[in-house]
Amino acid sequence: MIKKIKISKSEKILLVFIILLGIFTLVSLLIIKNKCLFVKNYNPNDIQFDNRENIAILNANCGNVIIELYPNISPNAVKRFKTLIRSGAYNDAAFYKVIENKLIQAGDLEFGKRENLDYGKVGSGKSGLGTIKSEIDSNFKYERGSVGLARTFQMDTEDSQFFIIFQDEPLFEGEYTPVGKVLYGIEVLEKVKFMPKFHIVPRPDFINSLKMLNK
Amino acid sequence: MIIFRVILLYFIFIAPVKANTIYNLIKIPNLEIYEINTKNKLRYLYAVKPFKLGVNIKKNIRCFDSNKETLEKKYKTINKNLNKYSSGFLKKIGLKYIVLCEDLSIAKINTAGIPNNKMRTLILDIRFNEAYFERAIHHEVFHIIKDNYKDLFDETEWKNLNKKKFKYSECSTCNNKWNLDTYSKTEGFLTEYSKSTASEDMAEVFSHLMFYQDKIYDDDPIIKKKKIFIKTNILMIDNTFRF
Repeated sequence: MIKKIKISKSEKILLVFIILLGIFTLVSLLIIKNKCLFVKNYNPNDIQFDNRENIAILNANCGNVIIELYPNISPNAVKRFKTLIRSGAYNDAAFYKVIENKLIQAGDLEFGKRENLDYGKVGSGKSGLGTIKSEIDSNFKYERGSVGLARTFQMDTEDSQFFIIFQDEPLFEGEYTPVGKVLYGIEVLEKVKFMPKFHIVPRPDFINSLKMLNK
Repeated sequence: MIIFRVILLYFIFIAPVKANTIYNLIKIPNLEIYEINTKNKLRYLYAVKPFKLGVNIKKNIRCFDSNKETLEKKYKTINKNLNKYSSGFLKKIGLKYIVLCEDLSIAKINTAGIPNNKMRTLILDIRFNEAYFERAIHHEVFHIIKDNYKDLFDETEWKNLNKKKFKYSECSTCNNKWNLDTYSKTEGFLTEYSKSTASEDMAEVFSHLMFYQDKIYDDDPIIKKKKIFIKTNILMIDNTFRF
């Protein structure tokens, strides 16, 4: 015959402790999984801008990135960038190249969109508007948050792809056409998915939308 | 088919990312910035480790890192010579990066420099023979110029400046004409190396013009014509250029 053992007081305390520990672990896991938890989401309507016509708002998974465009530095590049933004071309474009603490690249409108992401060709796609001439003669300083147009090894091959840098890059000066600088929300981009040692990010994050503040 | 896809995806994704900005710009590994704030906007880089380059798996261009003292000493010399070129001229000829390393060789043959006009880069061997080092810098710059202005520096036109019976070799390393000492009696050629190819001959005339300015061999009618050819065409590229 099996004798029923009555649970002691100390065992009850231990049981409660284990249950509490389980709950704490679960909550912690949920918090850690939410990578956007400590990222501030800037609302452009709460910010005063002097030149609203040159403010672009990029929305990614963790919030808004507010970019000021510099038409005085690179008139043709900014014109192209604005044209593509206004047409909604960048919406759903993949952040296909993300190098930790270095840069993030997106804007392949042919092979890098959510609906037709082609891992074999992403990075080589075109916008259909043709290439534009490099504008590299200004003394633009490529500091953290700078936005530039990507190109092939040849100059004058800029099209729709752009990059944003996470650290100062003095060697980019005179190499890449600048289009602007991130004013607020670069932390949003630092939360975009990357894979160390991976040339192209598998199953990348996407730009939800990229719009001009003044429509 | 599945195996093929796996292999393809491996190469697409796992191809190692070179987060190095310099490598991404000029495709030479193991370099760091030596000096980039220069008067004529040239960017000097140096090898921190030996590197190999080449279009195929053999990678037949090799160069080695150097010590700090040699770098400091040679940088001053190189900078002094390259400062003769304005930023405007360098932009026109497409030269932006100077790579400093030592014991530079191509297919195991030592060389003073290797120009790459596509990458706007000139690799210089800072241990190259002291006697010719400064002149060799300008010699290599000329190769960049010529590669970007092939129409101006027409080799057929140049060959016609020589005596009718003279023939260059097929390539610059196809013979043993490697001596860089300037002849005391020129007879149409400034050095033995000038006789290797038309391109090397042009580069030798240009480097002498840059290094000795205009003090060379006007008593040789062929050299005189060659000097005029080089000067005229350089001024076509940039009419503010000063030898």
